[in-house]
Amino acid sequence: MPLTPFQEQIKQALHEKHRLQIIGNQSKVALNHDHQALDMSGYAGITSYDPAELVVTVKAGTKISDLKQELAEHNQMLAFDTPDYGDSTIGGNYACGLSGPSQPFFGALRDFVLGIKMVDGQGQQLTFGGQMIKNVAGYDVARLLVGSKGLFGLVTEISLKVLPLMEEKTYSIEMGQADAIVKMNEMAGTALPISGCAYYQGKLYYRLIGVHPPQSAMPEDNHIWQKMNPFRPEISGKQKLWRVSTDSMHPPIHNTLLVDQIGARRWVVSENKPDVSHVDLWSLQEKTRRPSFDSHTKITDIKRGLKSVFDPYEIFY
Amino acid sequence: MNVVQELLHRLPRDQVIVDDEQKAPFECDGLSAYREKPLAVVLPADIEQVKQALAICRKHNTPVITRGSGTGLSGGSLPLKNGVVLGLTKMNRILEIDPLARTAVVEPGVRNITISQEAAPHNLYYAPDPSSQVACSIGGNVAENSGGVHCLKYGLTVHNVLAIKIITIDGEELVLDYRDDGVDLLALLNGSEGLLGVIVEIKVKLLPKPDASQLIMAAFEKVSDCANAVTNILKSGIIPAGLEMMDKFSIKAAEAFAHVGYPLEAAALLLCEVDGNQYQVEADTETVSRVLKENGAYMLKLSRNDEERIALWQGRKNAFPAVGRLSPDYYCMDGTIPRNQLAHVLDEIERMSKHYELKVANVFHAGDGNLHPLILYDAQIPGELKKTELFGAEILKLCINVGGTITGEHGVGVEKLDSMCQQFSAPEIEIFHKIKRVFDPENLLNPGKAVPTLHRCAELGHMHVHNGQLPFADLERF
Repeated sequence: MPLTPFQEQIKQALHEKHRLQIIGNQSKVALNHDHQALDMSGYAGITSYDPAELVVTVKAGTKISDLKQELAEHNQMLAFDTPDYGDSTIGGNYACGLSGPSQPFFGALRDFVLGIKMVDGQGQQLTFGGQMIKNVAGYDVARLLVGSKGLFGLVTEISLKVLPLMEEKTYSIEMGQADAIVKMNEMAGTALPISGCAYYQGKLYYRLIGVHPPQSAMPEDNHIWQKMNPFRPEISGKQKLWRVSTDSMHPPIHNTLLVDQIGARRWVVSENKPDVSHVDLWSLQEKTRRPSFDSHTKITDIKRGLKSVFDPYEIFY
Repeated sequence: MNVVQELLHRLPRDQVIVDDEQKAPFECDGLSAYREKPLAVVLPADIEQVKQALAICRKHNTPVITRGSGTGLSGGSLPLKNGVVLGLTKMNRILEIDPLARTAVVEPGVRNITISQEAAPHNLYYAPDPSSQVACSIGGNVAENSGGVHCLKYGLTVHNVLAIKIITIDGEELVLDYRDDGVDLLALLNGSEGLLGVIVEIKVKLLPKPDASQLIMAAFEKVSDCANAVTNILKSGIIPAGLEMMDKFSIKAAEAFAHVGYPLEAAALLLCEVDGNQYQVEADTETVSRVLKENGAYMLKLSRNDEERIALWQGRKNAFPAVGRLSPDYYCMDGTIPRNQLAHVLDEIERMSKHYELKVANVFHAGDGNLHPLILYDAQIPGELKKTELFGAEILKLCINVGGTITGEHGVGVEKLDSMCQQFSAPEIEIFHKIKRVFDPENLLNPGKAVPTLHRCAELGHMHVHNGQLPFADLERF
């Protein structure tokens, strides 16, 4: 089998001992000029799609907007509300593991990943998972690499479960943040067909799908969800944007601008890192930020070990 | 002191089984064709005892086979003669239910159905429902990434687990959480078949019970019409809570067992359940009924109440034991295929059934393409088990050839090691072995399961050789 241009580039990098940085359209991370780019932005398009199978397979450089449009033409959608930072690619969102307001209701991006094709740090082409909704053969490498930010290998194709496009209606209720957090959780424990539940600027917003009982809350424009996802508030001075993943019932955190995902995600603007677990600096202005392995020592060791499984010569930066 | 003496010395006497007769119930899991008695069975009651047992086994370089309720169907917890079985059924406490946050924290030995029973007063439930849910343990569900009837709409175990606590072979206690940054270790541990760590605590997602559920039963004269109906229901924009199909043989067996009123003359039966709020359920029932009629269903039956709905499911849920009554033994396969290949695959299985002269009953999760052909055989007839296994392997090969996979929900265990060689290439299998070594360098956790050695694949002649370049040429082969 002839080598693909990607395999050739990886083998060349191995030979010349230089590092590669996988990039798409650089909507989230910019190229570090000390490294050579492995540019996926042109590697775009749908490889296979059968709406009746509820599965689409796409090349990693495919723009989210193009993919959404193609699916919508067949009355289907990506149900994890993946954020689009402008020209974002599906590969970039896979690498960062990004999901939006519907995550608690339908699942995160990783819950929709069925399989991947990839090239590892030695230039080997590998396939994990497949196009089946149910598949438990072998370790789940296709989901393992969600969020790995290109450090483990080059993911070239991704198979995703898709769902029928559903009619959505948005409603709002005015209230305080602490009450809203409790109310959201109460609502999520009912059979109401919710697909989004957030608190923003003094209002609890919730989005319902399909046929549902009449609501007494205020009807709102569905566009509010695009404002919250991706969330890009204006930030001044030394302030920073932090994304906090927490228990849905966690009490209000100081300086929170947006509470999303029934309370499980908080967007905080402050100079200092909020003192809670699972906080991520969300700095699209500072595009040089790289992921770190700053967790439990043993988990760090495991992650480093896994990195060496896929990329023993540390080709991928 | 040897490993057994040390286990007896350090752990409470009644939690270490060494007596041959008492070890007997642990010599196999649900796949009873494979049996082996271990050195000892340890039944820890808490995390500290798990750590102690692991430390002793590690010190003596003794393999550890973790086991839940033993309902697995692929030999995933088959003991090793030189190994210790770590049975986690005593760790069966529900540690916390948080109704407002809709989560439950449980020990691994808790039975699947118990979680839903405990959550029921809060109008919540745990969605993944393997057929064995009255007996199977949640720890085993995580280790095998178990499925069930509700998978199409509500996902597998991996989609419903928020965090797990594991003990590594070197005794470290780690929490893997869905919120962790970086690679998704939680997803990796789901379905890892006991090879990477011992799962000692699980936090699961609870879902609100739907307001309404409606079962629609449809009978077809042609299997292909039934297969098309499945495709078109999904195309219509409805994701049913359950979408199950049975062939003529299974219908007859199930009806004789459960007496629920299945149409005996039908070539195929479809059970479709829609759920949600009552407004949505009414709309979906109308759409599904229309699609079924358009696709040739000659009979439709709608459940009139919950009792009738549950009764109609009973036939399907008891299909395996029902078929079991018709034959001394049966072998349950577990392949997944694209739904558009359903009619073709069923024809091929029928052809193979004639070739091998073994009857097959087809029961499957039509919504997600997960087939469970049951091959009927008699283990007393010399050579019939071997013939059955060949037939089974051929079905799995067919699944791969049409773009599917060798296991949808039962796992690889020892049963499907050879078929793994067909689904994965040598470099992919080598990656699996390297992942295992990151967690368990001495290969003590459930060794020999889930991932075949390259040696085994080479022996089977399934190694793919490109341009005459043998992968891993330094490996011994014979």
